[in-house]
Amino acid sequence: MSRKIILWVSVAVLCAYIVVALCAPLLTPYSPTEITGSPLQSPGDNHPLGTNDLGQDIFSQLVYGARITLLYGFCAALLSVFISTSIGIVIGYYGGFADELVSRAIDIFMPIPVFPLLIVLTAFFSPGILTISLLMGILGSIHGIRIIRSQVLSLAQTNFVEGARAIGAPDFYIMSRHILPNVMPLVMAKFVSSSQRMLVMGVGLSFIGMWDTTTVDWGTMIQKSYTSGGMALGLWWWLLPPGIAVVGISLALAMIGYSFEEKFNPRVGVNRI
Amino acid sequence: MISGNYLLKRICYSGAAFFVSVTLTFFLLHMMPGDYITNYLLSLTNALPKETVAQFYHQFGLDLPLTEQYVLYFSNILQGHWGYSYAYSVPVFSLIVEKLSWSLVLLLPATILGILIGTVLGARSGWKSGGKKDFALFNVMIAIRAIPEFWWAIMAVMVFAFYLKWFPLWGYTSINVLYSGISVPDVLYHAILPVTLMTFFIATGNYYVMRNSMISVIGEDYITTARAKGLSEREILWRHALANALLPIITITTFQIAAIIMGNVFVETVFSWPGIGLLTTDALRMRDLPLLEGIFILDTIMSIAAMLVADVLSSIIDPRIRMGKDE
Repeated sequence: MSRKIILWVSVAVLCAYIVVALCAPLLTPYSPTEITGSPLQSPGDNHPLGTNDLGQDIFSQLVYGARITLLYGFCAALLSVFISTSIGIVIGYYGGFADELVSRAIDIFMPIPVFPLLIVLTAFFSPGILTISLLMGILGSIHGIRIIRSQVLSLAQTNFVEGARAIGAPDFYIMSRHILPNVMPLVMAKFVSSSQRMLVMGVGLSFIGMWDTTTVDWGTMIQKSYTSGGMALGLWWWLLPPGIAVVGISLALAMIGYSFEEKFNPRVGVNRI
Repeated sequence: MISGNYLLKRICYSGAAFFVSVTLTFFLLHMMPGDYITNYLLSLTNALPKETVAQFYHQFGLDLPLTEQYVLYFSNILQGHWGYSYAYSVPVFSLIVEKLSWSLVLLLPATILGILIGTVLGARSGWKSGGKKDFALFNVMIAIRAIPEFWWAIMAVMVFAFYLKWFPLWGYTSINVLYSGISVPDVLYHAILPVTLMTFFIATGNYYVMRNSMISVIGEDYITTARAKGLSEREILWRHALANALLPIITITTFQIAAIIMGNVFVETVFSWPGIGLLTTDALRMRDLPLLEGIFILDTIMSIAAMLVADVLSSIIDPRIRMGKDE
């Protein structure tokens, strides 16, 4: 009952964020990078959340920031899920040499520490937000390949797959029509939970100042405000809004993710004796 | 038990992983735009004499072809020479050891407390899963985990250090260290806030794993048997269910210990704690390549070792896992 309420509230919050990101130009009076007032103005009629140290409108930055923040979260998760699903299904279905090759490659790549690598890659490709989110997706897919593969391994032995093979269905048809729909719930759950993780990771990377500081996203907004004394001067309207925005979307995605997982993963289901 | 053949195979893969990781990071770091001179030294002065720049490149072998540098670097690594830091002009290894010990001041208490709290809460929550208490605790734990670590840190600093003034704003010691030297109570006083935060964060991860593990154990036959014998619920929970549900915790704990080094880069950044995390971001900003490579080697070794230890430990503890027999 209350689990359902939480899920629907989270979905509503997620939709609200997406709408704000899509309609950013309609909602904001100024461009996020334009200097429209004197620095460090308090919230007022012209600037609903005041201005930052450069005189840029904080409200506009906040709304436009949704675009970039959501973009790298979802891009990275989409790519990561796509890679892990397609490779996982193919090697799980065919097995044999390809499976052996990919599995051994995963064994070798698994222990490589992802987070420090990501920090370096971010410094490497600094202005390219899209490149970085794609790299996050590729690095994040390694673990997923294993999970999907093990699911497909058992699916490939089931009667309906055997039957489809017996009536001469081509391999691609079996993989896309019979196996994919059966791993889809798992894939969806993985998509939601990894978009939450990637989003937080992206915000974290920009918070430690690892990417181009001219990009307007919530991480850089928090970083700028925190390092230029937004807190010490008591300018809460500069520091709090981007943080609250991140917390909101991250909570919504996490709640949706766990609801999915509880629903589709029988091992985590609640069984009370 | 573990078969020797399997162990040998795992060690070979670990060696390959180490090689790939070191090679990858070496080339990535060396092809990165900007270097120590352009990114750091030139920000301190307006101009550097040409001879100085040339001498710097020569001294650190940066004027050699990249492949030659790589061969030299790798053979040095194998002999245990991790090179000299550009910025600190000390051996990388001793620098890392020093910063690591500062990180451990935070990490050791936080990890131990976090694992204990997370495991106990997770076990209780999983045992009573579906109940009101479980539902509330579960949502609180997810919420704590979903909020980025650095945001918790900023909020904690703002509330407890800035407004309430209970704790210092940042750093690891007070300014009077200049006269009186480092005092242990002072450092501990500075460590309370970051340690508390990290404890919470580690506990949530353990809680989640433990709860799921507990739920899957509850349905097993031996729990029904224990109940049929007339044991009290408490005895069943702490003796029978917990012992069996602990297995995933062992795996996650070894990984936590490995990930620990990088994990607290956010907390260290917000609190300006002079540990490995802060060292990494500083080194990257200054393009201090030998130092960065050293940190990477350390991370790789830690995470490879964690995987090996997790495998071996879980097969020793649980005889049902017979490593290498199923292949």
